[in-house]
Amino acid sequence: MKYFVFRNNTIERFFPKEYTFSGYDDISCIPKDVDGYVWFYQLPVKYDQEILCSEIRGYAQKLLFVLTQVDAAKPFIILTMDEGGYAAPFTSGIELMSAVSDYNAVLVQAEGEHNNVKLLDIREFTRQYPVNEVFDWRFWFISQMGMNPKLSKPFSDWFARKLDEIALKRKKCLVLDLDNTLWGGVLGEDGIEGIKLGGDYPGKAFHYWQEALLELSKSGVILTVCSKNNEADVLEAWEKNPFMVLKKENFATWRINWTDKATNIKELADELNIGLDSLVFVDDNPTERELIKQVLPMVEVPEFPAQPYELPVFFKEIVEKYFRVYSVTSEDKKKTEQYKANAQRAQAQRSFVDFDAFLKSLDIQITIEAANEFNVPRIAQMTQKTNQFNLTTKRYTDADIRSFIQEGWKIWCISVADKFGDNGITGCIMVNGDTIDTFLLSCRILGKGIEIAFIKKILSLLKENGVKSVNAEFIPTAKNAQVKDFYDRCGFSCVAEDADGKRSYALELKNADLNIKEYYHINLK
Amino acid sequence: MEILKNLFELDTVDKTCSQATCEKWDSMGQLNLVVELETEFDVTLEPEEIGEMKSFNDIIRILKTKVA
Repeated sequence: MKYFVFRNNTIERFFPKEYTFSGYDDISCIPKDVDGYVWFYQLPVKYDQEILCSEIRGYAQKLLFVLTQVDAAKPFIILTMDEGGYAAPFTSGIELMSAVSDYNAVLVQAEGEHNNVKLLDIREFTRQYPVNEVFDWRFWFISQMGMNPKLSKPFSDWFARKLDEIALKRKKCLVLDLDNTLWGGVLGEDGIEGIKLGGDYPGKAFHYWQEALLELSKSGVILTVCSKNNEADVLEAWEKNPFMVLKKENFATWRINWTDKATNIKELADELNIGLDSLVFVDDNPTERELIKQVLPMVEVPEFPAQPYELPVFFKEIVEKYFRVYSVTSEDKKKTEQYKANAQRAQAQRSFVDFDAFLKSLDIQITIEAANEFNVPRIAQMTQKTNQFNLTTKRYTDADIRSFIQEGWKIWCISVADKFGDNGITGCIMVNGDTIDTFLLSCRILGKGIEIAFIKKILSLLKENGVKSVNAEFIPTAKNAQVKDFYDRCGFSCVAEDADGKRSYALELKNADLNIKEYYHINLK
Repeated sequence: MEILKNLFELDTVDKTCSQATCEKWDSMGQLNLVVELETEFDVTLEPEEIGEMKSFNDIIRILKTKVA
């Protein structure tokens, strides 16, 4: 990726070789032939506080101008300004602090107003070092460097990690052990009142840890339990221990039994319909961790801290490493609810013999909506995370999708609700001219024929728009075998198949069967 | 010598290497060179010395006064 960096000091050394740079505090030239932009202005070195402050405020105006000039479909990464950037007299002045915080507030606002803008807080990086290490006057005077060039390696690592996080690569589910992991002590031996949770240390540390995990689950991470215990004991402890923060309803599902954990974890993944590579396993027992590392190498297994007081640091590490996201979408927040509603739905299914009657009873409401400012982040996220029901498994970022829309692609997403709950936006289709580039659905809504209703509706829309025939393809991956014959089932003819199993399809819309069962209530927005 | 070779993306490097003969040895290159040398030889170079450092021979001469 070639990014162009706006800057006011010498910073070339901190970024990859292929990046290009503006002149010092120069916004007169904004190149178009780059993949994205970075804005990295550092605290200017000046003694006159008034000039200094107005210069900082001026930077904010320049940024806002630049944002109006660049392609809104390209990523624009902004770094904050560190008011403690260098150790000089006067820099602790209240005026300077407020100028910098005004500047940073403008950045936060810019992120809120522009979907392509992502804000990174430089202080998260710089506060790991003493000021004298972050800023070295020698390099300021010889090269106008606002940050010590010796930090370039850790800075580039930090920056690269942040870019990865922005690209939405994260895990979905945390599998937690119980004894000595979620609380201190062993439930089977110490009893409900005897386990260490709440009260004095170490119980207090476990209590904080559970609160932290609860917050994590609110951001859309699924919590599950895999523990060697008697299930009845645990259910009782969840209900009766007054300090228990994480209870039955906070876990999407669990395996509390004496079966080996590898088997249990495989079952958990199957039940939740997510890949093993979406799981992070947390257990205090090194033998269990080793077992999972060996038998299920795709599961992430972090080392567990030796002392309970290290849990807050451990929590921060796992969040940063596996679960950090930039904008938590409202879909994320509802996820645990949805996984639970699915379990209820599966039970309802058993009492119907006739599947059509079952579907009819669900009162399925499908909303099809064209891509817009609000759902593009969710669409990008789905292309990144959906593995199983995904015909081509092409991964896109927000910026990619916005540029497709500009190029005239037709992109729709689907929301599905039924009497058990609203699944939110759970699928999308992207059509470039007469070719289906991407078609995917979240596993949460499968098993109800929604995929067929969705594609038929889209084909009808294309037909109304004068499209005569539609092309599509299936690209096999390790995980999408279930959709191998999807287009065949929809009436497409397979026109080619190559040695890797990639298939090309075509469908004449004139003769296609586009009838949709009446019990899908489709609402087009 | 290895430092110069990697830093300035040279195929070969010898004692005649200098700012004049080496395309990538510009002001940015000079800065990178200083950081690499300081890290490798555990020295702190003064701005005056950095200013004088325009060739392989200069580097050797200055480093000798530092390490000695």
